[in-house]
Amino acid sequence: MEMKRENHKGKALNLLRSRVCDPKFAFKALYNSPESNYSKLKFMISSSVTEACNNSILLLGPRGSGKISVLELVIRDLLDEYPDSISVIRLSGLLHGDDISAFKEIARQLCMEHQLLFSKSASFDDNSQFMVAMLKECGLAHKTVIFVLDEFDLFAQGKQRLLYSLLDAMQSVTSQAVVVGISCRLDADQLLEKRVRSRFSHRKLLFMPPSMEDSQSLLVHMLTIPVDSSFPRDYAIEFNRKVQNIVEDKRFKETFSNYLNFDSSVKHLLKFLFCAISHMDLKTGFLSLENFKTAFSSINRQPKLECLRNSSILELYILVCMKRLEVKEKSFCNFNSVMKEYKSIHDSFQTSDYYDRNVCLRAFEHLINRELICFADNRGHSLSVEYRPVKLLISSAELNQGLRAYHSCPAILQKLMDREG
Amino acid sequence: MDKEEEAPQIPRRTRRSSTSSWASTSNDVSSVKVNSLEPQTINDLLVGGEPVSLDDLLSNFPGRNSQIREIVHLLGPLNTPMLPLFVYGGASTGKTSIILQLFRHLNRPLVYSSCRTCYNPRILFESILNQLHLHRRSAANGYSNAKRCERPSDFVNFLREALTNAINNLKEKSEKLMSSKTMRGGIGNMIYLVFDNFQLVREWDKSSTILPLLFNLYDMLKMPEVGLIFISNSSPDTFYSNMGYVEPIPVYFPDYVEADIRKILLRNQANPKLYSSFLDVSLRPFFRITRQINELSTAFKPLYEKYCEPLSDKSIVPNEDMKRRLFSHIMLHVSSSLNEIFKVSSLPLSKVESSKETTQKGTPRKLEHCEEVAKLDFHMSTSAKYLLISAFLASRNPATLDASLFDSKGGSDNRKRKRKPSEKVPEKKESLEEELLMKGPGSFPLERLLAIFQCIVSVADDPSDEEEQNGFGLGVEGACGDLMSDVLLQLSSLCNAKFIFKGRSCPIEGSTRYRSSISEDLALKVARSLKFPLSSYLYKRT
Amino acid sequence: MAPSSSPIVTDSLDPSTPTETLDNDLQPFFVLHKPSSRRKDRSSTGQGKQRKRNELSSPQNTKKQEGSVNEECDYHLFKPLQIEAFNSVWSRIESTIKDVLRDLNSSAFKDIQRWILECFNAARLHGEPNITEATRSFPILSNATPGQLSAALVITRNIEFVDDILTFEELGHFLKSHGCHVAKLSSVDFSMKNGIAGCLKALLREFPLGEIDSADISILASWYREQDNNNKPLVLIISDLERCCGSVLTEFVLMLSEWVVKLPVILIIGVATTVDALRNALPSCALQCLCSSKFMIGTPDERMDTIVEAVLVKHSTTFNIGHKVALFLRNYFINQDGTLTSFIRALKLACLLHFSMEPVSLIHGHMLAEDQKDWISALSPEILLKYMDEFPSYDRSQIASQAGKSIAQGLSDLITEKKLWSTAVLCLCEAGKYSKVRLLDLFCEVLNPDLYPHRDSVCHIRNEKDQGLSSTNGHSQQYSSVQTGGLIRQIVRKVRDLPTGALGQLIKRWEKLTADISEIHDKLKTFQSSVRCEDRRSPRKSSKDISKRYGSKASLDADNELTMLNLQAVAFIDCLVRNYMRPIECMPFHEISCFKNVEKLQVVLIGDPRRRIQADLLDSHKILRCSCCNKTGNALLPSRQDSSILYSLAQEHGDLINLHDWFQSFRTILHQTNKRKPKSKQSPQPKKRKDTAGSGDQNEASIQARFCRAVTEMQITGLLRMPSKRRPDFVQRVAFGL
Repeated sequence: MEMKRENHKGKALNLLRSRVCDPKFAFKALYNSPESNYSKLKFMISSSVTEACNNSILLLGPRGSGKISVLELVIRDLLDEYPDSISVIRLSGLLHGDDISAFKEIARQLCMEHQLLFSKSASFDDNSQFMVAMLKECGLAHKTVIFVLDEFDLFAQGKQRLLYSLLDAMQSVTSQAVVVGISCRLDADQLLEKRVRSRFSHRKLLFMPPSMEDSQSLLVHMLTIPVDSSFPRDYAIEFNRKVQNIVEDKRFKETFSNYLNFDSSVKHLLKFLFCAISHMDLKTGFLSLENFKTAFSSINRQPKLECLRNSSILELYILVCMKRLEVKEKSFCNFNSVMKEYKSIHDSFQTSDYYDRNVCLRAFEHLINRELICFADNRGHSLSVEYRPVKLLISSAELNQGLRAYHSCPAILQKLMDREG
Repeated sequence: MDKEEEAPQIPRRTRRSSTSSWASTSNDVSSVKVNSLEPQTINDLLVGGEPVSLDDLLSNFPGRNSQIREIVHLLGPLNTPMLPLFVYGGASTGKTSIILQLFRHLNRPLVYSSCRTCYNPRILFESILNQLHLHRRSAANGYSNAKRCERPSDFVNFLREALTNAINNLKEKSEKLMSSKTMRGGIGNMIYLVFDNFQLVREWDKSSTILPLLFNLYDMLKMPEVGLIFISNSSPDTFYSNMGYVEPIPVYFPDYVEADIRKILLRNQANPKLYSSFLDVSLRPFFRITRQINELSTAFKPLYEKYCEPLSDKSIVPNEDMKRRLFSHIMLHVSSSLNEIFKVSSLPLSKVESSKETTQKGTPRKLEHCEEVAKLDFHMSTSAKYLLISAFLASRNPATLDASLFDSKGGSDNRKRKRKPSEKVPEKKESLEEELLMKGPGSFPLERLLAIFQCIVSVADDPSDEEEQNGFGLGVEGACGDLMSDVLLQLSSLCNAKFIFKGRSCPIEGSTRYRSSISEDLALKVARSLKFPLSSYLYKRT
Repeated sequence: MAPSSSPIVTDSLDPSTPTETLDNDLQPFFVLHKPSSRRKDRSSTGQGKQRKRNELSSPQNTKKQEGSVNEECDYHLFKPLQIEAFNSVWSRIESTIKDVLRDLNSSAFKDIQRWILECFNAARLHGEPNITEATRSFPILSNATPGQLSAALVITRNIEFVDDILTFEELGHFLKSHGCHVAKLSSVDFSMKNGIAGCLKALLREFPLGEIDSADISILASWYREQDNNNKPLVLIISDLERCCGSVLTEFVLMLSEWVVKLPVILIIGVATTVDALRNALPSCALQCLCSSKFMIGTPDERMDTIVEAVLVKHSTTFNIGHKVALFLRNYFINQDGTLTSFIRALKLACLLHFSMEPVSLIHGHMLAEDQKDWISALSPEILLKYMDEFPSYDRSQIASQAGKSIAQGLSDLITEKKLWSTAVLCLCEAGKYSKVRLLDLFCEVLNPDLYPHRDSVCHIRNEKDQGLSSTNGHSQQYSSVQTGGLIRQIVRKVRDLPTGALGQLIKRWEKLTADISEIHDKLKTFQSSVRCEDRRSPRKSSKDISKRYGSKASLDADNELTMLNLQAVAFIDCLVRNYMRPIECMPFHEISCFKNVEKLQVVLIGDPRRRIQADLLDSHKILRCSCCNKTGNALLPSRQDSSILYSLAQEHGDLINLHDWFQSFRTILHQTNKRKPKSKQSPQPKKRKDTAGSGDQNEASIQARFCRAVTEMQITGLLRMPSKRRPDFVQRVAFGL
């Protein structure tokens, strides 16, 4: 009995996690309305499949707004509808940005699609000709080839030969192909050369992050577990009720809102959910407000302040010295000038922490590793570290805050900073 | 010897059949001598070692409770998918070891690759693929890789294929386990890719393409059975590339606080009581300087020996007054070793005339310091010395003052001339010192160096002759005529010794500029060894 | 002994072979240092004939005489013999040098090897990972703090890296022979250009791993764990730290430290200057991965002294150098490039020149190869006699020995005398060790012939004074006496104030040194005996003069005992100096084995190309002895070579030359041609410009062309720098070397 409870809690957790990790689930829920991108896209592609015509579409939108997922959904459905009249070629600008590997990849996938033998040694021209030939073949066989070009803007770098020959082939050869470009750059079509753009039909789908309400309903949708045989009925109901309570709670509302404020994309939301879910307590087997709080705190961090909290007292001294130099409008500072400042501080205040140059240099290198400071230029490697100009990577406000937060921070440092104002 | 003909076929076989065949043969192979290579099984992706409980883990890593628990939560129970993690924190905060120990505890397969050992994309790719193919490089296969892949596109294809094989392999295994009701559930179907020292990838020359690739790997593969873990020294915000990507979930390892460090240092000590009393004295001052555990431990090792010196047996539990005595004994050592960051021990058996341990700077005690300054402890030819000094002067003094320092022919009468700069100093000093601090040693063309060199030599001739204890013309040839003869050779050897840096181009073309990088006290040493009045040619600096 | 049938072969081959080996060892030497000396060396080994010729032109009359003598007797008899002699002598010297250097380093090597073993065992103590663990991609789990790389800093204390190449190679061989895997990397492997990949490739190349396309340290790890490679320590020698690229080295060290448990590499880093070099090269994060300990190997000075002792003092019978040469070599070592390599090279040159110039040098060539007869047969005694007569030292020796000795007699005397001399020098040097006198300086001093006479005379005065052993004026004397020789004086003074213990040791060492030279040994003995009886006889007197010397009356007995002994020692030294330290150049027949011709050596050794070029440009007419210039001396004639005209014109400018002015003056000079056309016409030289023929219609264009070409030539020779963007109308003189 107890054992069973345990593992259906585990099952619940597992279910939620797999939901979160699979974006399709979320977007399916998000885009089931008729006027959504999903239906538009599906209409476009399916029409070009049925009417056996060529087409090219751009899916634009910020990262994590579900461009690919929606496309995947569409393709999946279409594959169900027209099982043997669609073949999909997937490329990513990250991997196939250069034309050679792009054509090679296309050839490879075409071969896999049609059970042909793919030769690694095939040259660039072989591959491109092969592609054109295959397009023609597919056209004759009334088979639509869908080219999915992820990171479309990266294909637009360089000579754009891939795009050109692809679109050109689509125009000249009796083929039926759909080119779907996906990019997070809204100006992606501006990047195209003229010869390419002229051949590109400017269908664009804009993907927008969901509104607050949508995301909240999405959250509810994702967190509610089905009330059916899969879970004990009472447990499921209880679970969903708790979720509802949490969502109603206004403390949660504000956490949620100021989480989504700086990035309201769905992926971001999923991240949040993932953290929250993974903190779910398996003893009780229910989500709690705490989970969301911890998730919130663990996701959006303030790295600079953390670094400040990590740094030793000596490193703080050096930072303060640099800040003082900065305030004094020194053109740029390097280790030597910092040391001068450090010494002057020591002379005027007789601090207990006055250490040897080497030790300070080591602390200085620590700061560089922590990326609280960095070299101002990449030139002059011949110079030793202490001469290379450096600049501070944190604002004085951050530094102030950090010093306040730092327990056992020497009073003198705060005084110095306050003096700077 | 069956390895020889078996080895080449390894890559060609499909994963499944090979492992099954190996699994069958493995037990009799294992009877061969220990360091013969048994073929790997999927179990080799496990960290292995005897299982550890979570509580041991928590006790092994003081001050890391929350982090460990968080990671456990994020990894989730067996066979649950997860989003990529980004574990970051300063140096030596236990990131890597905790991750590995956790996997040892969870007993799940992982593919680990450190971006330091794999210093370029190709090696990274190939090492990952090797592990997934359970391929071990050995003399038998000529240390070859399972797959040869340089392009990211190939990598992703290979990776997908290898992962699917491995995962199927795992699935079978777990099914077997399910059928045979063994406790401590199997190793699951998930495979975790761990990238350590990830911050180094930013310095790779292809980083602009590799970083997004690795960050997007999860979305690209679309395999829920794959978990990605990035371990990095620097926070995620330092990874922003021009094109951005969805950030992985951050897990933060803060530096240890004093109490934790204390626990860690005490962890495996012969005599914890004594050591803790030692830490009472020494930890706090050091902690103000650095919070990195490894630096602290290296600093404490010799210091603790010092601390124990007065004690007859190291195993006694110190009482109060003994602590007091030890305290008074250690105090000065602490203060001295606070300021040394790198020590070179010279073995007693090697007969070295120098002091027992030389620290970076001259040791604080007076007498040693002065005598250290006094003598130059390596050999240079006289002309090299003069050249070095002139380079130092050229770097140190602004070119505008050469005229006043040395008259054109470098005649003997700049005894009075060299007063000039010290008069000039007051109004100029501030600005000069500023820009000197800023720019470091100035650079100079070859001609200027040689001009100064000639002057110096001609000036310093007569003194240098007197200094030769044997007045029998041994030093007569020290005249500039001979010193001048092969200056360029001296220059080259000085450049090799990193005393003088030189810009890239040929010296005849002349566009090269040089810069001397030696410290002032080294220059003074050299000058003293020549009895050359260097200080009178320098700006008096406060 | 080579038959005279194949003289050319022996001539061409034999000398070259030792140089070959020497050169191979020291390739970088030529990269860094002047190729000229090598070339000269080659040529001088190469053909003896040419040497003879320039010898003819050499001013010294003695040389000229013997040169003439040389002309008379045929080379084909001599050269092979000379070469033969040179080879035998030099090979002997070379081998001694090698041995000496080796045992100089041996102790340090042993220390290093012991240290390596300690590190190795310490590493093994922590437990060996088995091969499966070691070939894993992830580090081995352990609660211990990360292990450090153990690194030995071998400090050579010599910024000239050349001498140490050999040292590190020998170290490598030594360690290999003592059971280590040794890999040697040098700074070229740590270049910015190739980065970490380059140095890993180089590292893997050191091991038998076959062909590897992507260098990766895990390969090395799995190799090390395979087939029992791991029962030997794995040593990695980085021979020159200073020249390595810091960032690459840092990466390398970090990588190694990441693998240190699986792959316990032991680093040996050669540091030329000081430990600080390491600190400057590496950032702190890399530094604290190293657990370093340092070893010293002999400084160049020590090595130099050992070489001088072994070659020039101990084996003074085989080959020797005159005072001037010694002085030159010393200054060359101290002032120019302080490398032993060049010193040895110079020595070799001297040896070679000696054998090629001094026909009688053959004699001692066979004096050490003790087979007289075929040599005597080779060159007839009367020829020998001829040379002997020409020796300036011969007649002196006549005087020295009233009854004219036979040559053989003289030679044997010479040898014995030299033996005595070298022992004496060694004794002095022993004493000198207390006052830090370097043998090289001492050597130069005792060779000085001008010091010898009055040193001698003073000793005479001192001698009868000493009968009474009145130490006071003995000392006053001594001061006056040693006024002359700076170092000897120092030594004597030092010995006078030596504490008893040290003195005892000194005398012991003297005994050891003089053991086989009975003559000096007996002296020593008598002194010691006399000491004993002395202080037994008169404590009072000595105590008095002690009180005279030192104001204090403290602890008389000790003092007096001490002083008596010291006085004896001083007296002994005096007697050494007086009797046995006759500079070699004052010995009869010294020409046989002693090389004195500094100028030639200087020319051969320091080819000073830059100065030569400039000098020659200034007076080109001296080289191409054309009639026109011969008459007018230094005046600038149009017939002169353009570049030389331009250069001498450039003398009038500062080191910034206005092109226009320069061209104008050049043009004016050329236009003199039209006035003195006939002169330049009948100038016989083929060297003359072709255009002198058509110089009538010589137009501006050609002049400009010639100007440009001349300027370009000067730029190529590195005398000019082309105009910069800032001052397009000025060229700059690269003025140094003169």
